[in-house]
Amino acid sequence: MADLVGSLLNLALLASAVRLAVPILLTALGAVYTERGGVFNIGLEGTMIMGTFFGAAATHAVAQALPASQGPLASMLAPLAGMAAAMLAGVLFSLIHALVSVTFRVDQLLSGVALNLLAVGLARFLNILLFGVATQSPGVNGFPPLAIPVLRDIPALAPVATGISPVIPVALALVVAGQWVLLRTTFGLRLRSVGENPHAADTLGIDVARLRYAGVLISGALAGLAGGYLSIEQGRGYLEGMTQGRGFIALAAMIFGNWWPLGALGASALFGYFDALSLRVVAVGVPYQFITVLPHIATILVLAGVVRRATPPAADGIPFTKEEG
Amino acid sequence: MSARWRLALLQAAAPVLSIAFGGLVASGIIVAIGKNPLDVYGLMLRFSLTRTDSLAAILLKATPLIFAGLAVALAFRAGVWNIGVEGQYYVGAFAAAFVGFSVRGVPAVVHLPLAVAVGGAAGALWAFVPIALKLRRGAHEVITTIMMNYIAAAVVLYLLADVFRDPTQIGTPRVRTPLFADSARLPPLGPALAWLGFDVPAHSALNWFLPVGVVLCAVAAYLLVRTRFGYEVRAVAFNPDAAEAAGISLDRVRFTMFLASGAIAGLVGLSDILGFFGYFDIDFPKGLGFLGISVALLARNHPLGVVPAALLFGLLDRGAQGVQVFAGVPREVITILQAVIILAIVVGYELVTRYVRVQRKLEAERALAPGEPAPLPGSG
Repeated sequence: MADLVGSLLNLALLASAVRLAVPILLTALGAVYTERGGVFNIGLEGTMIMGTFFGAAATHAVAQALPASQGPLASMLAPLAGMAAAMLAGVLFSLIHALVSVTFRVDQLLSGVALNLLAVGLARFLNILLFGVATQSPGVNGFPPLAIPVLRDIPALAPVATGISPVIPVALALVVAGQWVLLRTTFGLRLRSVGENPHAADTLGIDVARLRYAGVLISGALAGLAGGYLSIEQGRGYLEGMTQGRGFIALAAMIFGNWWPLGALGASALFGYFDALSLRVVAVGVPYQFITVLPHIATILVLAGVVRRATPPAADGIPFTKEEG
Repeated sequence: MSARWRLALLQAAAPVLSIAFGGLVASGIIVAIGKNPLDVYGLMLRFSLTRTDSLAAILLKATPLIFAGLAVALAFRAGVWNIGVEGQYYVGAFAAAFVGFSVRGVPAVVHLPLAVAVGGAAGALWAFVPIALKLRRGAHEVITTIMMNYIAAAVVLYLLADVFRDPTQIGTPRVRTPLFADSARLPPLGPALAWLGFDVPAHSALNWFLPVGVVLCAVAAYLLVRTRFGYEVRAVAFNPDAAEAAGISLDRVRFTMFLASGAIAGLVGLSDILGFFGYFDIDFPKGLGFLGISVALLARNHPLGVVPAALLFGLLDRGAQGVQVFAGVPREVITILQAVIILAIVVGYELVTRYVRVQRKLEAERALAPGEPAPLPGSG
């Protein structure tokens, strides 16, 4: 029994859980923005794929262009450019979704399905074009890792206090900022009003289409960043299929977190933990396939109201047509 | 030409224009990699359409897509989303495979239908969970079906790798079930086609599931148009509120159509598994369920449209192989082409539908205009 508890709760496992939670968290946070504005985006999986590819490609390109690394600043430049490129790619990719689903008011799910298909083809094609092979980019170096002062000197805490990607604190800050934006800022309140009752918002002079664009594009930027983290910080290069459906899991985390950033944080942490656990199951004695599906089962239970009531924004997924109001 | 015909023509033109738009975007990509799009498309069509092995390959590729497209279309028809065709397909294929390798010593007339029936039942069972949760608990079927896809993949992987793995293959990299009994194999279509004067290569895996799929589409189209239940389905799709007010049970229609969708999804893999491989391998073709969504979209969710749409996807796939080998164009260009066609198609349909609606409204206004009571003389 002590063995089991030990294998379920050790620091290496927790550190791995945090690392695995970050891409889910960033994308789930993006999903909160787009759905709070009333637009489904199941294309976030494809958006993440774009982020993984462009993140690694830009990091590689900048690292090649720079003269051999001189000091800590230069070594940050390449991954920084990669993250920026990943976010930009995410924004541009989700712009297609915004155009199709907000401007043309086409069913939002269809556009997402098409985008996921497009992302797979595009990433393979561009990878062949740039690197000559279909499924893998050259290796890249991420950011120099951080360590928590004081704690890093305690050997027992080393797994969690050292080797921290700087993206992790950034992601946590984005969650807190997101909660604040949605609860306290004009933009956040307007975005939510557009997701709850677009006709009322429209009557009050709020530009529904513009806010929905904003929600979708923010989701694209965050999913792109999540992809960049996966390929630059975790994978040290792009590998086809490295997102492993995390874009869908992120949607699940958003639902589990009841469409709030802090809720998405809790859900992502839980899903990251399951993920980390499934990599270490030899110690637990359960087939790993059953641990990998725990987040999926949990999501179904939440949607079915078994755990608690899921309360999506009222106008989530419904195209807005002004003249019908 | 009357206005009515003009509108019908416009609706029919939407898929053609969307394919043309997709071709245009792909042309840009082909130009960007320094090739001539006309040469590439010409090669693609010649390679796909002038060789009998290509025609057989197109038909073989189209077979599972007919089932996947029909499955998605049937659910869409009742206003519910079945993004779970992929998972239902895994479960159905594995269940049929189980019947294939575990049942021995029964004649093919019993064994094969049993395998097909069990595959369909397993697909329907996998579809039961999301639709029941939607109707009883209001759980959105899009997310639950996506989750069910992952659970299906995990369950099938577990059963395959840890429970039913062919013991003679342990120690090799091959993870697959034992071979099926011959009585569970789908007979090849080649002899029947040869009798019709169309010779397919002897090695082609084209099998009887192709005509089965086509007949299934025809039956579905007939049921939707000619029966009372079909009428109810169309009423629900057209206006759910009005249908319910007229005494049609929305839940019953949606439940039935979703289970039918799941059952057909359970058959998607059988052409490959029972007709070609003869065992269930860990590397079985994936993504067919998602392609089914594209096929259904292209077919405008009409069962009869599913067949040509599936054939088009089969042709694109075969053509992609051709241009990759003979023109050095990565086949991913064709994947991009497919995605752009789908995006163009959904936008195109939406615009046409909106235009048609406006035109009908104007027409109705014109029709009403002469009937308006003239202002009474001297009343102003």
